[in-house]
Amino acid sequence: MLAHLGRRFAGLLLVLFIVAAMVFFLTRLAPGDPAALMLGDQATAEDIAKLRIAYGLDKPLLVQFVLWLKEVASGNLGQSIFLQRPVTQALLERAEPTFFLAMFSLAIAAAIGVPAGIASAVWRGRPLDQVVSGLAMLAANIPSFWLGLIFIQFFAVKLGWFPVAGYGSPDAGFAERLQHLLLPSAVLGLVNSALITRFTRASMLDILSADFLRTARAKGLSERRVLLEHAFRNVLVPVITVLGLTLALLIGGAIVTETVFGLPGIGNLVVSAVLRRDYPVIQGALLAVAGIYVLVNLAIDLIYTLVDPRVRY
Amino acid sequence: MQNDSLSRTGLTRRGLGGLAAGLAASTMLAPAAGLAQGASSANLAMVGEPQSLDPMASTADLVGTIMQHVYEPLFTFDANWATQPMLAASLPAISADGKTYGIELRKGVKLHNGRDLDAEDVVASLKRWLEMTPRGKGLAKSVASLTAKGPSSVEIVLNKVEPALLAHLALPSGFAAIMAKESIANPLTEFVGTGPYKFRERKPDQFVVLVRHDGYASRSEPTSGYAGKREAKIDELRFIPVPNANTRLEGVIAGQYQFSDQLPVESFKKLSASSAAKAVLTMPFGFPYFPTNTKQGPMADLKVRQAFQMALDLEEVLMAGFGEPKFFALAPAHFPKGSPFFSEAGKDKYSRADVAGAKKLLAEAKYDGTPIRILNSKQYDFHHRMALVMAEQMKAAGFKVQLDVVDWATLIQRRGDPALWDVYITHSAFLPEPMLSPPQLGDGAPGWWSTPAKEAALTAFNAEPDPVKRGALWGKVQQVIFDEVPYIRAGNFAALSGASAKMKDFTAMPWPSFWNVDLDK
Repeated sequence: MLAHLGRRFAGLLLVLFIVAAMVFFLTRLAPGDPAALMLGDQATAEDIAKLRIAYGLDKPLLVQFVLWLKEVASGNLGQSIFLQRPVTQALLERAEPTFFLAMFSLAIAAAIGVPAGIASAVWRGRPLDQVVSGLAMLAANIPSFWLGLIFIQFFAVKLGWFPVAGYGSPDAGFAERLQHLLLPSAVLGLVNSALITRFTRASMLDILSADFLRTARAKGLSERRVLLEHAFRNVLVPVITVLGLTLALLIGGAIVTETVFGLPGIGNLVVSAVLRRDYPVIQGALLAVAGIYVLVNLAIDLIYTLVDPRVRY
Repeated sequence: MQNDSLSRTGLTRRGLGGLAAGLAASTMLAPAAGLAQGASSANLAMVGEPQSLDPMASTADLVGTIMQHVYEPLFTFDANWATQPMLAASLPAISADGKTYGIELRKGVKLHNGRDLDAEDVVASLKRWLEMTPRGKGLAKSVASLTAKGPSSVEIVLNKVEPALLAHLALPSGFAAIMAKESIANPLTEFVGTGPYKFRERKPDQFVVLVRHDGYASRSEPTSGYAGKREAKIDELRFIPVPNANTRLEGVIAGQYQFSDQLPVESFKKLSASSAAKAVLTMPFGFPYFPTNTKQGPMADLKVRQAFQMALDLEEVLMAGFGEPKFFALAPAHFPKGSPFFSEAGKDKYSRADVAGAKKLLAEAKYDGTPIRILNSKQYDFHHRMALVMAEQMKAAGFKVQLDVVDWATLIQRRGDPALWDVYITHSAFLPEPMLSPPQLGDGAPGWWSTPAKEAALTAFNAEPDPVKRGALWGKVQQVIFDEVPYIRAGNFAALSGASAKMKDFTAMPWPSFWNVDLDK
């Protein structure tokens, strides 16, 4: 187990290094100068040059990359050019809305997707299966920004149940901030429930045709016990996989929803940073998201050992 | 109580249950509690996050818009764009040769730290402005001395006449903000000014909060534009970055925002139909203009530039950009009637839509069909829409056209390289003094316009201190612009904002301000 963990961590570091290099060089390939954008239309060439020197942007690319890697290795993700504060601090400030948005969305997606997928498999080919499959197809293909705008229009503007956007007033308490998350969570939850539904349905169908279920039924177990105790337990591994991956995707990929709902989360930060060419923030945020992604994957693998005694490392 | 319990909740299963229950309770019991604002605070949805809160560190309009509530200038503009005193007691005493400005400060003006403003604060602030800001740096070469003459007098001595000095000092962009000398640092960490609001808190990408300055000493003259009496009627202003225009629109209609800045023109009908919000038009807000590359490529040939000008039907171009005539106006004169700079010079060359004439000029120029690269960005939707129509009009006149659509950051970088573009699409805020914009009137701006005719016209204009004579001299500059086509000024456009129906006494100006504004209970 320890050797396995060691190998996984080494792999994790390699993945992060590759991500770091790709992010660093790809952001630099895009034209656009953060100093010129920061200083505005009337800035002189001299001012722009000064700011570039202050942020080390005048150095050769490879030197900048090595210097950045050294800083990252010591836990420092650099200083945001635009926000004038450490990237780590900016990320931590944005982590809360993204984290809760991801968790609530996942909870909603799982609450819809898992039972719907199971029911759909159990009543395969029946009207319920057709309805669930159709809805899942629809949810998978709805653009989240469109659904977001519809939800804003209906639930926030027309009914006035939720705030339109933002993350609470400056002195908002936790409850007010969370209230701002409900609508975007519903949007992301619905959109992501499609994958979970289809994945759960497919896994359940596999299990339902397994020999051990036939044996269980032959032993005279009730259908309820067969499904809940035997089938569902075996569906857990693939379902956990898809839930974990969905969570990781939500943390890194709620960009559109955060933008539509004006949530000051990590996705929103990355979009702004790209428009501002705030290299340290783009690099730091993407590296952090990649790190989370890899760690979630690792966590999923470890959870397998808890739910399925056959899995051993 | 509920908040406290929620904030302590961990991510346990029970915690999540409690969280959900708390959420449901807060949503159901007080569905609008998080949204409701009393008259004491206003949520103002802005187009983005300010680059900085240091008004001298960036020329971005957003920075000026927010920080003009905290800092004040010596002079400001009234509703007719005439310069009026703000922190200065009156307009300056200018010596006969136009080179010495004696400025008396208004007495009893309190800084946000409670101290009285004095001449030392003004000198320290203006020195910083001359060193830091692009406009200040340009002027610094003309400033021989800047000194405090006693506690409430400042003297600026110039080594050459600078007729635009007061306009430079009044402009909220690249702002000559007067700040407490002890707060001056690079970067600024304290924001101590004299304005009707003082800085309370900033959370990047979430909000900037300003609160009423109780010790504010207002002018007594009636309010006009940015000039005259200022009163902070709302206790707290919250500037909230909301980059998504639809969200800004829905937010002001739903009552979450009391003001939403810069909305798409398509929202006009929706705003007008809403009982909770109203449409606010600021006209003129700015002007779209299309600089030409006079240094390199096909546009370096004067006849090609003239053909470009002759081919354009600017009404169609503006219609493409702004959708409805109420949002734009054709304007051959760069300044409106009533301005000392109003002139009709060159208007016969404006928006000719003369395809045959353009073809003739292209033939005379022996234009070889090299594609004209129109650099434009979708970040400002109207830029791209104007570029599309412009390209079609140019094609009809015999140009080959290539649309280079990039993001704004890329455009800003590419326009600095004469090898990369022939025309680019941009816009400027309407500014009351010719030398403030566009930058092509100065030296070295993209387009690199530099000709003997420009030099002669602008030198004469900038050497004349008498405002009346300057008006006539501006006409000659405008004529040269139409003759040499360093840029095409398309016309004027309006900005559309949304305000709560409860908002009273808001004056539409290019940098929206919220002193004197009140909210009905």
